[in-house]
Amino acid sequence: MKQNVKTKIEISDLKVHYGNKPALNGISFDVYENEILGIIGPAQSGKTTLLKVINRTLEFTADATVEGSVKLDGVDVSTIGDVYGLRRKIGMVLPLPVGLPLSIYDNVAFAPRTAGLRNKAELDEIVERCLQQAALWDEVKDRLNALGTKLSGGQQQRLTIARALSHQPEILCLDEFSIAVDPITTMRIEEVLKMLSTEAKMTIMLVTNLVQQAKRLANRTAFFLNGNLIEIDTTDVIFSENPANQITYDYVNGNFG
Amino acid sequence: MDKSKIVFHSIALITLVVVFLFFWYLIENTHTEIGQQPTANSQQPTADSHLYLLLPISLLAILLGVACAFYLEERLPPTNWFRRLIESEVAIFTGIPSLLYGLLAVEIFVSYTLGSSGQGWGVLFYAEVLTFIVLVMPLTIRTTQAALRSVATPIRESAYALGASQWQVLSNQVVPLAFPGILAGCCRAMSRALAAAALLMGIHTWGYTHETAISAGIHSRYVLLLVAALLFSTFFSFLKENPT
Repeated sequence: MKQNVKTKIEISDLKVHYGNKPALNGISFDVYENEILGIIGPAQSGKTTLLKVINRTLEFTADATVEGSVKLDGVDVSTIGDVYGLRRKIGMVLPLPVGLPLSIYDNVAFAPRTAGLRNKAELDEIVERCLQQAALWDEVKDRLNALGTKLSGGQQQRLTIARALSHQPEILCLDEFSIAVDPITTMRIEEVLKMLSTEAKMTIMLVTNLVQQAKRLANRTAFFLNGNLIEIDTTDVIFSENPANQITYDYVNGNFG
Repeated sequence: MDKSKIVFHSIALITLVVVFLFFWYLIENTHTEIGQQPTANSQQPTADSHLYLLLPISLLAILLGVACAFYLEERLPPTNWFRRLIESEVAIFTGIPSLLYGLLAVEIFVSYTLGSSGQGWGVLFYAEVLTFIVLVMPLTIRTTQAALRSVATPIRESAYALGASQWQVLSNQVVPLAFPGILAGCCRAMSRALAAAALLMGIHTWGYTHETAISAGIHSRYVLLLVAALLFSTFFSFLKENPT
């Protein structure tokens, strides 16, 4: 299978330091087009940092230094001039729900608007589609003009997912999206993610603390520990009785972490 | 904003305006007593004409301060040497009591020229403007920076992650959130400016003493302007009470 898939993101020898503190120690792996890649690992293992490097939001952290390269479709992201265009290609869902201080409608329409879309009918359609995909439409369709920050935590999290989908990204990065979402809604979103991967041909990077979630969704899974990539393989192998590293087995089975 | 808050704010504002008008009436009345004295013998401007300049000058200083704070906070990284330099200077300047500003203004801006040429009234005016700006700007910079900083980083990050440019992030997210804070800061700077107005009268008094004796009305003006400053800071506390 690996031979005939296209590489979407190519990460080679990526090192990140916050001041003197290392966050990633030279990791290299590829993300294939149209796959769901699960990224698991305990806290402080560099998962979020990795996502921030890809969409270049790490630049706002003043003391962070990045070495090595991250290539998206063969182009090094650090050399891309149109960083806003790059970020529009990548949908990002942050671990804590951050409702922008706008109405629900404007929250979802924010990204298309910044990209220059002004047509009301098209915006309406995008907002409805994204909210439906994030399993939020039924709950908010009657109060789209209410303030997004007034929603409950789980609803706000789904709002951020709808927002991340609103600019039709090629890559969707989810950073522990289910942290404030109830199990039933989580299942509904997971169904949507599978659908996005198979039908919309989206590449999905799923950072998660729920090991079972990676097992349910991911085609391949990467295990991070203390800024090192311990192992990356198909999910079946990682969750089998004999992954390449004993420590992976221990983590996956809840023996530590 | 809920209704009770709107009512509360309106009452505060109306009370403020009524009290302010009352004091303004008092100021206007004292005007006739001392206004004649300096204008009678020369082309020296009265203290009142300078009083009318207070508002535009302080607005100018506040605008400059806000712009400066935006530049420091949004354009320069925290590690930048220029930002650190300015921030430490601002910290020192906000700590200096306004009386010292008055002394410094007289000492630095006025003495040289006034002593040498004797035609010191224009200089006195520029001394006032400069003192004002030096007095109001640091406070505005500081409060505006604090307001901008209070906008949580995740909000900026998620807006940037959606592909927004810096201008879009600022105009759509940061400024609406930080606006009450910035307004409260400006109000506070304004109240300090009004307190300083009393001090500027002091500079004038010093100027008068070169040719005439201290007019009796000036003392009451000190008090009036200080009262006005007090009212402004009361209003500021009402604004501050509304966190986002």
